[in-house]
Amino acid sequence: MGIKSFSRARAIHVMLVYTGGCNGCDIEIVNSILSPRFDAEQYNVFLTWNPREADVLVVTGPVTHLNRKPLEAIYEAIPNPKLVVAAGSCALMGGVYKNCYGDIPSEEIEGPVENIIPVNAKVPGCAVRPQDVLAGVVSLLPTLLDAD
Amino acid sequence: MDKKVPRSNIIETEIPMGTVHPAALEPYRVRFFVEDEIVQEAEITIGVNHRGIERIMEGLPVEKANALTEKICGICSNSHIWNSCRTAEMGLGIEIPQRALYIRVIMGELERLHSHFLYLAHGCEVLSHETFSMRVFYLREIVMELLAMIGGNRVQYGCSVLGGVRPRCDLDEAKLLRLKNDMDAVEEGLTGFVERFLADSVVQSRITGIGVLPQKQAIELAVTGPTLRATGVARDLRTTMFEYDEFDFNVITQPDGDVKSNLVMRALESFESIRIIRQAIANIPEGKVVNRDWEMVDTDISESYIEVPRGTLYHSYALESGRVRHCIIRTPSMANIGAMQYACIGDQITDAQLCIVQCDPCFTCTDRAIEIIRR
Repeated sequence: MGIKSFSRARAIHVMLVYTGGCNGCDIEIVNSILSPRFDAEQYNVFLTWNPREADVLVVTGPVTHLNRKPLEAIYEAIPNPKLVVAAGSCALMGGVYKNCYGDIPSEEIEGPVENIIPVNAKVPGCAVRPQDVLAGVVSLLPTLLDAD
Repeated sequence: MDKKVPRSNIIETEIPMGTVHPAALEPYRVRFFVEDEIVQEAEITIGVNHRGIERIMEGLPVEKANALTEKICGICSNSHIWNSCRTAEMGLGIEIPQRALYIRVIMGELERLHSHFLYLAHGCEVLSHETFSMRVFYLREIVMELLAMIGGNRVQYGCSVLGGVRPRCDLDEAKLLRLKNDMDAVEEGLTGFVERFLADSVVQSRITGIGVLPQKQAIELAVTGPTLRATGVARDLRTTMFEYDEFDFNVITQPDGDVKSNLVMRALESFESIRIIRQAIANIPEGKVVNRDWEMVDTDISESYIEVPRGTLYHSYALESGRVRHCIIRTPSMANIGAMQYACIGDQITDAQLCIVQCDPCFTCTDRAIEIIRR
């Protein structure tokens, strides 16, 4: 284990980007990372809002048209190695919003997240359960720590 | 109180925040026009979250459309499905069993508790007081687990259906007992929090007199819900809703319209919610929870207003061979955007985000109307 991995293993920083879902997953995730009940900090997982600090990007919501550029910019700003967790059925397949105009694809929804940035782990659920999000983030840790 | 006047002509600096900003979870854009660190004008732009949910509802069978309204907002999802069912029930003239009404009220008040706790926790977080924030988040988990116990999911419960509530959401003795015990725990925790919060002189000096929204201005901007009641106007739609006829509760008001009034207002209103839930547990009638004995007919546009955690929620649609037509939804945050912009004016730029958060914004619900300009 290199010195980078050694220090990274003690502070995994997760950044949450919210791209236009219904807010349910979003609050569940902020709860799971922030709240003392699920307490992600016991696994050395911390919440950050600065992409330069982040190791794992958690994306929720179907990516709406106006959210595409911010999401790409945030992904670019994260230093390597970076991993992406798509959380919630909107992020995985566009949810109920994707095919909102019947057979005609919606112009508002650019998602799922896979179309825009590469995704490493998928957490299903509507809304996601905090335990699942924690499991998703923790399952990525070996990949992150073996990166260099 | 003097009227605050927005001055956009002598602007020194413009500070944009958003669309992704740490203090605000949801994406929206706000521009502050600043002179000497004092905000002179604020401009909130929404539309980032637009998904077109009314368009999706158009032409769906009414049962499906009701389930879809939950996806408007993950915080007050139960309010949306409740009001959507209520709209159809008013149009079709469906009689709802008394027990179902009680369960709907219990769900509504539990949701008000979790929404207000989220507000208090988020407000303390924006104040940078992590300890208070964590304490309220911990308290909120009790309510979330109660909601999960009744509805089966932590966020979207799907409690109301046409004619009552889902049979899964029926409350048996064990559930009622747990509800009763947890209400005691929540009340104890909340009392402890409020006592320490009001006694903390540092926090009090930070929030008193910040982000003032005068009463006259609040009425002029058509502000709704707790944000209006925090300016001293006792206007609560629950006093006129037939569901709440049998319940005894007070309409809480606070005098000042600043951040302190707003925070204390939500905390005191939570106690009233606990009181309503206790009355519902004590008096819940026996009987069936859903009335399946109704016929689908075409209706004119029917509309329904209810009081949700953030203010007045409006749903309206017509039914045409069982399908939803001409759907309009108006969420409370839409009305409160004016209050958010106004509350920022005249305060330090460091307090601007706090002034927005004090109005309890939920831009996810709000983003449904959009004007697409093609070039």
